[in-house]
Amino acid sequence: MADRRRVNGPPGGTRPPVFASLQESTTGAAQRAQRQRQPAELRKIFLKTGLIPTASGSSYLEFEPSASLAAARSNPKSLIPPSSALKVACTVHGPKPLPRSAAFSPNLVLTTHVKYAPFAARKRRGHIRDASERDLGVHLETALRGAIIAERWPKSGLDITLTIIEAEDDRWWGDAPDSHDASWGMMNVLAGCITAASAAIADAHIDCLDLVSGGVAALVSDDSSKSASSVPRLMLDVDPAEHRSILSACVVAYMPARDEITEIWLKGDSSKAALEKGDVRSSHEALIDGAVDAARGANTVLSEAVTESIARSIAQA
Amino acid sequence: MPDKLITEPVSKLPDFFGEQNRCLCNKELYHFFNPFSLYCNMASLPQIAIPGQRLGPLSKYSAGPGTHVQDSFIHASIAGPVVTDAAQPKIQPKPTLRVSRVISAQDLQPQNAGASDGAKFKPRYNTLPAVESNVLARVTRVQKRQATVSILVVLDESEHLTSSQTASDNDNVASILTSAANPENHSGTDELRFQALIRKEDVRAVEKDRVVMDEMFRVGDIVRGSVISLGDQSFYYITTARNDLGVVMARSEAGNMMFPISWKEMRDPVTGTGEPRKVARPF
Amino acid sequence: MASSAAASNPTIPSLNLPPSQFARLQPHAYLLAHLSPPAASDQPSVRANGRATSQFRVTSANAGSLTHTNGSAVVRIGDTAAVCGVRAELLHTEDIASWSVSTASEAEAGNTSQKGGSKTEDEEDRDHVQDLNLLVPNISLSTGCAPGFTPGAPPSTLAQSLSHEILSLLHTTRLVKADDLRIWYQPPNLESEEFRNAGEGMDVDSEQTGGPEPEIKAFWVLYIDIMIISLAGNPFDAAWASVLAALRDTKLPKAWWDADNETVLCSDNISDAQKLSLRGLPVSSSFCTFEADAAAGWRSVVIPNADELKSQAQKQGSQQRWILADPDGYEEGLSQERVCVVVDIEDGKTVIVKMEKHGGWAVDSDDLRQLVDVSAKRWHEMKRILDQC
Repeated sequence: MADRRRVNGPPGGTRPPVFASLQESTTGAAQRAQRQRQPAELRKIFLKTGLIPTASGSSYLEFEPSASLAAARSNPKSLIPPSSALKVACTVHGPKPLPRSAAFSPNLVLTTHVKYAPFAARKRRGHIRDASERDLGVHLETALRGAIIAERWPKSGLDITLTIIEAEDDRWWGDAPDSHDASWGMMNVLAGCITAASAAIADAHIDCLDLVSGGVAALVSDDSSKSASSVPRLMLDVDPAEHRSILSACVVAYMPARDEITEIWLKGDSSKAALEKGDVRSSHEALIDGAVDAARGANTVLSEAVTESIARSIAQA
Repeated sequence: MPDKLITEPVSKLPDFFGEQNRCLCNKELYHFFNPFSLYCNMASLPQIAIPGQRLGPLSKYSAGPGTHVQDSFIHASIAGPVVTDAAQPKIQPKPTLRVSRVISAQDLQPQNAGASDGAKFKPRYNTLPAVESNVLARVTRVQKRQATVSILVVLDESEHLTSSQTASDNDNVASILTSAANPENHSGTDELRFQALIRKEDVRAVEKDRVVMDEMFRVGDIVRGSVISLGDQSFYYITTARNDLGVVMARSEAGNMMFPISWKEMRDPVTGTGEPRKVARPF
Repeated sequence: MASSAAASNPTIPSLNLPPSQFARLQPHAYLLAHLSPPAASDQPSVRANGRATSQFRVTSANAGSLTHTNGSAVVRIGDTAAVCGVRAELLHTEDIASWSVSTASEAEAGNTSQKGGSKTEDEEDRDHVQDLNLLVPNISLSTGCAPGFTPGAPPSTLAQSLSHEILSLLHTTRLVKADDLRIWYQPPNLESEEFRNAGEGMDVDSEQTGGPEPEIKAFWVLYIDIMIISLAGNPFDAAWASVLAALRDTKLPKAWWDADNETVLCSDNISDAQKLSLRGLPVSSSFCTFEADAAAGWRSVVIPNADELKSQAQKQGSQQRWILADPDGYEEGLSQERVCVVVDIEDGKTVIVKMEKHGGWAVDSDDLRQLVDVSAKRWHEMKRILDQC
């Protein structure tokens, strides 16, 4: 049934455009983007707090577009973007009274909402939150709950809302989903959401043990020949559009000052990683360590953004 | 004067997607990362702290609001200026470290000059209404046995010392001006504010049995009250049983702002009629 | 500061309150104190936000920054920010239930228009754009843009009415040309030639058309989604400006009917893509009125007729109301009456595209005339901003 509360399109539905054979196309869209960064090199992050004055805390985060996307933007040839870069806005409302129906809580009650804009991804998203968005909300909540000192704010609630304006790709757009495929882009989105939410919470002056930031590491295999000898490599902050196949990925929420992980999410088969000689870690440990390293990197940006916002308000005082 | 209340409209915010200034340059992002580089060396305190930052050992300081203790060190739990409140000979032998929630000129002094004032009040760990905090609230409902109010402002206890200081960090004029006074959306304003009850026996200290709630408060009055209990999940309890507590602003039936003429009456300056109220002593 | 404002007005008890508390406790008196400063002091009348009554907030626009859209824009009016993304999808005529029926009648209509010109291009546009729902604007406020909008909840009344206002403005301004959205197909002329070669039979037909009529095989449907990222009053102007900027940025790929696959194919080459050719540049300006009668808001709740009486009294009395351009959230909460004027300027002539006024009696026809002038000024400002983005 049509949703009467929204403006609906044609009742028969519409089809996304289909592009003609790309082999003949001269736009270069048919070529997979290549990672230009070192395996341990992270994308830059833009993070700023306090952009939304109606909220008690807010932040806006952007990942640097990967080299291929940046090139496509500066010199557009094809209508098909080679990859995608996260853009997310976060607001924090509260502490505010709990709804009348809620039970008494001696602690701060967190509510997290993650919503993709309809135009956030290659495929048009619906207006109603779907399962993956709810999933992201739950992961985000556990990541933040471990960092917040909830008992400082009795019987009140905190609403954290993240709007994904642009998401990350799950794979290169030209690839068909294959057997060990998962929504890898979601992991990058979660990492960005954690960092953005942490900045917004700090902006709202809610007590936290530490600034918690998100990081992603993955085992990727770029070998085109499907030989058994091709070993997957560990990389930090992967853009799934730049790799032939991702075997496994891990996102962590990490507090550097305490060296604690509040949330960990590992997907895929991590058994085949090629580690350096003498490395005794199991490959999933290496994956988690990689994600922690990525989170540490994000944390430098996070600390800088929070410090900057305090310095800004002191300058105003 | 009115035009000086705000000198600038509100903070000018950057373009969301401005290509310039797009990425914060974090050059030594990965390789040279050191979690303690930002953090102070142990000898001196940083001027500004961010959550998680280590401030000082518990052996030297005691932990105040905006901090928490981990491994016998005081860490910041909010972002803000670090303030040291001097030791109190009897109550508090060690100086107290806290991170200020409000950025005021006073707190930016390296050593808090008014340190002795800080100790007079209970340390405040949040901006929520707490027992004994004074609040300004609007009356939303008057019943036979109680009045329901919605808390608008939690007054800072040190307010009379620094009158320019705002009650909470979200309480600056710019943020009030951006949000609607009466938001035109489905959930009413009152759902976003903490609710409280003034029970009949808490209205005044004398002649408690002769209190008629209708003659104490009317819907729309602004009341100064003091929190006596955190109450249940939905209501705080507040009292007005003190001379300085009670109605501070009220409109008459005719709709005019009234002024107080006694501890139990206010008068409409236009029509000259008086109306009964539990009046707070004007300053 | 607040105390001095209070002192100027004897009816306000002389409480020593910081301005922030005064603003929260007595919003009406606070705004009034700004707008009507005591005559003795040399203060100009300004709004609490420091603007003059007909002054709009600083506006900026930025187009084309979103990757997965055909056109996009971010517009920020003061602290209200809207992000708009336009996504084009295809509606095949075979998916339109009533298509075969309507084409039959249209073919007739087309014939008559060729002969008598009874049906204008505009009317056809409306038929297609409006009847087939080719423009689908939706505004979302559940983004945490302001306290009180529950995230994840269905669209609030405000969101629903804004979506529909944008839809109706898109339709009444006929901003998007239906022809930009049509995908034509010229069937090959083989058949008729064969017939002609074969001989007599089809003489009449081929004479008339010289081949089969081109037919519409599909339409572009534009999904126009607006996310209000930050709401600090006047969402409509920001949303509309973002729609306008995003549509100006929109490029549709070159598309054609592929008879072999029986589907529409597109070219990904950006040089083949076409920009939309929009009709005019309708710019919207919103206003609200603030009335000096301190009890207005309070009384209207209690006494149903008070508003009427008051506004009558006011017409006789002195001018004790202000029309505030581009109200912020605080001012919106203190006013009953809203005016929205949408104007376009064609060859130096101001055309009123839409004028809406509701919620009060204070604004009269003289005021409206002035508001049109203010809106025309705003048009030039917005044009400059949109041209730059």
